[in-house]
Amino acid sequence: MKHWRAIAQAYGLPLTAGELDRIAPSLEALEEAFRPLIGDLTPGLEPCIEFSALEDAE
Amino acid sequence: MTIRHAAGQLRAGRVSAVELATEALARIDRGNARLNAFITVTAEQAMHQARQADSELAAGHDRGPLHGIPVAVKDLFATRGVRTTAGSKVYENWIPATDAAVVEKLRSAGAVMLGKLNMHELAYGITSANPHFGAVRNPWNAEHIPGGSSGGSGAAVAARMVYAAMGSDTGGSIRIPASFCGTAGLKPTYGRVSRYGALPLGYSLDHMGPLTRTVRDAALVLNSIAGYDRRDGTSSRRPVVDFVPEDGCGIRGVRIGVPRNFFFERLDADVESSVRAAIASAESLGAVVKPVTVPDMEALNVVARIVLLAEASAVMEPFRERRGEFGPDVLALLDQGRLLPATDYVNAQRLRRGMRREFDRLWSEVDCLFTPATPNTAPRIGDTTVRLGGRDEDVRLAATRLVRGINALGLPALSLPCGLGGSRLPIGLQIVGPAFEETLILRVGAALEDAGIHIPPCPID
Repeated sequence: MKHWRAIAQAYGLPLTAGELDRIAPSLEALEEAFRPLIGDLTPGLEPCIEFSALEDAE
Repeated sequence: MTIRHAAGQLRAGRVSAVELATEALARIDRGNARLNAFITVTAEQAMHQARQADSELAAGHDRGPLHGIPVAVKDLFATRGVRTTAGSKVYENWIPATDAAVVEKLRSAGAVMLGKLNMHELAYGITSANPHFGAVRNPWNAEHIPGGSSGGSGAAVAARMVYAAMGSDTGGSIRIPASFCGTAGLKPTYGRVSRYGALPLGYSLDHMGPLTRTVRDAALVLNSIAGYDRRDGTSSRRPVVDFVPEDGCGIRGVRIGVPRNFFFERLDADVESSVRAAIASAESLGAVVKPVTVPDMEALNVVARIVLLAEASAVMEPFRERRGEFGPDVLALLDQGRLLPATDYVNAQRLRRGMRREFDRLWSEVDCLFTPATPNTAPRIGDTTVRLGGRDEDVRLAATRLVRGINALGLPALSLPCGLGGSRLPIGLQIVGPAFEETLILRVGAALEDAGIHIPPCPID
């Protein structure tokens, strides 16, 4: 589990304990779902930074 | 009455634009205190525009089917000289100097603007329980949410205050209120409609589109708002065609994909039976129904959430020191986005590209997909969970579950009403098509409407 309080502090985000309690479970769940997806990424797969719904035909 | 019908009546001289606007303003006057659909009503401007429309039509200057038709826009579209709040405290006094592209186009089409519609704060949520301007209520049952974030748009169309309302859709925010309020709602392909002048939530996920009483009306509005705009860097140069389906349009031979996985899991029984009935109806019209396996939509939803969290927090970073001015749910999302590492955002965008390629392969098998728009009907205001498939699910995650991934793909998607649940609340069918194939999904939707897939008018007066 990530230390969300420390990350928030490092970012200079003044979260109260209540605010942190509210967001930490969501972030943790997202982290758990997202982390395994990254393992399959190949270096040649570039990000959709300038997004187009039909990349090759535009 | 639909836009098509009203446009015919106007041209036949059986009604005037002033009469249409007067009637619409009277409905707003009667209903808005209860539904809270509008943040700002521009009655004086509307009457001026209506008089102008009548004069122009009388002089033979016909701007097309929206000429003289009462419409309204979600309050994140910039309107010159008219306050534009995005449903937020931080923008509550912003009076834009220019119109959003969509507003320009609607004005140019002669539409009569009745005002600015309430919404979820910053378009960042699906309840439209706005902490600054009050909760929007569902016209079918005022104890229930209208969905969101374009909740005022859905409520105003369902309550027949306007013929069309513009919404925006970043993770389902047109299709969810369309589903919960029983209207048509179209999210066009990313790039089809300019985002210029719409306050952004997630740059790469934001789509602008109409909510209307019928599918053909959504097509009529799309005809007016689609097209290239150099002020939006992601605007497409694809030619704009006539999107309006012909009367009696057929769908014989259209290949409709019905997902085996994901989209029919954990649904209200009423939702599943109504959507399955719509599928059967399409088959009876000659469409070819094919079961398909869709790529990992749960993973796509995760990717879309990360992209949105990062982009929305980046958009709102200038307001970082004004924490007290955000509602608690929006603040929590902004904080989550701030804590994500940049590498997660970039990798989410990489995964998104890979998933789009996987999804593109589906279009060699089928022409469009049929799914429910939402797994349930509109929850009660204040509910934080819904029970689906024997387990409690966060209201926000449930409402976005079947629609959010489509934003990450940028594909066109239509929600149209296909039944009423046991609680007499509307159920939405979602039709998803390949990029820039709005014509096809609108044709399929119109054919279903012609075949009797619709719901009675909302019982409000």
